[in-house]
Amino acid sequence: MQPAILAEGLKKRFGPVEAVRGVSFAVRPGEIFAFLGPNGAGKTTTVHMLTTLLRPSAGRAEVAGFDVVRAPTEVRRRIGVVFQDPSLDRELTARENLYIHGRIYGLGGAALRAKIDEVLDLVELRAAADQPVKQFSGGMRRRLELARALVHRPRVLFLDEPTLGLDPQTRAHVWDYIRRMKAEAGLTLFLTTHYMDEAEQLADRVAIIDRGTIVALGTVAELVRRIGGELLYLRLEGGAGCRPLPGVQSCRELPDGRLLLEVEDAASALPRVLEALLAAGIRAREVTLRRPTLNDVFIRLTGRELRDELTRPGATAWMRRR
Amino acid sequence: MQAFSVMFYRQVLRFFRARARVVAMIVNPLIWLLFFGLGWSRVFQSPMARMIFGGVDYLTFLAPGIFAMTLFSQSFIGGVSVIWDKQFGFLKEILVAPAPRSASIAGRIVGDATLVTLQGLVVLLLTFPLAHALRPAGLLPSLFLGFLMALAFAGLGTALALKMESLEGFQMFMMILILPLTFLSGAIYPIAAMPGWMQALAYANPLTYAVDGARHYLVGEAAARFSLALDWGLLLLLGLGFLLLAVLAFRRATLEG
Ligand SMILES: Nc1ncnc2c1ncn2[C@@H]1O[C@H](COP(=O)(O)OP(=O)(O)OP(=O)(O)O)[C@@H](O)[C@H]1O
Ligand SMILES: [Mg+2]
Repeated sequence: MQPAILAEGLKKRFGPVEAVRGVSFAVRPGEIFAFLGPNGAGKTTTVHMLTTLLRPSAGRAEVAGFDVVRAPTEVRRRIGVVFQDPSLDRELTARENLYIHGRIYGLGGAALRAKIDEVLDLVELRAAADQPVKQFSGGMRRRLELARALVHRPRVLFLDEPTLGLDPQTRAHVWDYIRRMKAEAGLTLFLTTHYMDEAEQLADRVAIIDRGTIVALGTVAELVRRIGGELLYLRLEGGAGCRPLPGVQSCRELPDGRLLLEVEDAASALPRVLEALLAAGIRAREVTLRRPTLNDVFIRLTGRELRDELTRPGATAWMRRR
Repeated sequence: MQAFSVMFYRQVLRFFRARARVVAMIVNPLIWLLFFGLGWSRVFQSPMARMIFGGVDYLTFLAPGIFAMTLFSQSFIGGVSVIWDKQFGFLKEILVAPAPRSASIAGRIVGDATLVTLQGLVVLLLTFPLAHALRPAGLLPSLFLGFLMALAFAGLGTALALKMESLEGFQMFMMILILPLTFLSGAIYPIAAMPGWMQALAYANPLTYAVDGARHYLVGEAAARFSLALDWGLLLLLGLGFLLLAVLAFRRATLEG
């Protein structure tokens, strides 16, 4: 089957900065594909290239079967975009924003009016439809942008950080809308995020992007399996560091002083680890067991935390230099 | 064509939504006419002064000038909305749409020019009771001529704004252009009274021909300096030329600026 999105060696350079350094991937029709990466990874730049707003410096891309450089109008006809930054007309009401959007995409009449009501219902904004957007809260604006991107029935929907800056409840709502959109037949979703839980919740497949390169691609389960096992967090008395321990595949010292151990099976490894430590005269003060997440995959691949707010100055000690 | 009409519609919606702006646009020319025009018309009452102003009282001389001035400054300032669209992101919504960009940008410029011409109509209607010598028959042709000039400056303002990132940059252009072009247009004092070098600048100023044409229609042929053919020809050329300039600027627009 023809992929909904195809990127081959896509690159973008802004003067001396190489924002995207050759990414290749294919998104299947009907799937939710997530680009997961930290600030400045090149997510937005990739979205802008795929949505015909930036010309790639090298490589090529097809969306809905059309080349983004050679047939931009054909691509534009088939995509909906929710940009990272707001793009609504704040002076106009929600309904007027949707109406103007529909007309620009060649719709009109009763069909457009019906579609506008439908998308307003989907994002639960019917009651606020005739208020100017400048009176909307951040979450309402985001929902309106989602609704607007659906008015012209796109085949491929791009969502650049759809829940950035929203509170947890609103985020859960938006996730819900996105799932419902996917349920609409044939809609392919490309979303970017730097929230790992967002990728885990929504995406069929995830590409982890860092510094302009895709460092891993697969389903969440596949990516997590790369860690190989489970994770143990230990805080040792006296702040003792890593040492060879039975059944432990790797050990890393975290900025907060804890040790992060990778083990095949935590339930059987834990007693042996604690015994070995005791034999060396070290007592554990705190033990946490966790299944690996995408964040752990990211740490493994890049040596850094995905969630920038967790990166502390001490973390640089184990950062991989490039 | 849908993109043209909907972008036209958007300008109209936004215009009437901004009530304060609508009021300011009407009040501003009235301030000129009343406080500037009425004041000076008392000074210029001698037969000698009437001669300088083409045989009419100063207020009648000034009225077509204020009309053209209003159209000029308001249409050029229309470029500000492009900068706001950049800053609030709405421009991306247009850039990513499949509609022909030439149609959407032209719709917006023609919309601006039409709205500005309507303001000109309001200004003229308010002017007639003050300047009795004005000819009502001149109203319609003046509006058409004014529309061409509004098209030219809305096009120029839009093209400049598309190249600019900040409101401050555009405001600088407004400062550099609006006042000098107004003074150099014969709107406030006749071109004949200017020193030679200033006359040369006035001839290079598009606003001059709108003022001249409007004066021809509203005051009379004797008050005009150029032929109507020249006024119409130049403004038509500039209107279409600057519209085209804006269309070309927008066609090439990407997010890289
Ligand atoms: N127009 C531009 N000119 C110059 N550099 C740019 C431009 N746009 C992006 N960059 C640079 O390219 C890199 C990637 O930026 P991009 O916006 O694609 O990242 P991102 O993954 O979307 O990040 P975020 O999560 O912060 O949105 C950054 O280093 C950024 O500074
Ligand atoms: Mg981004």
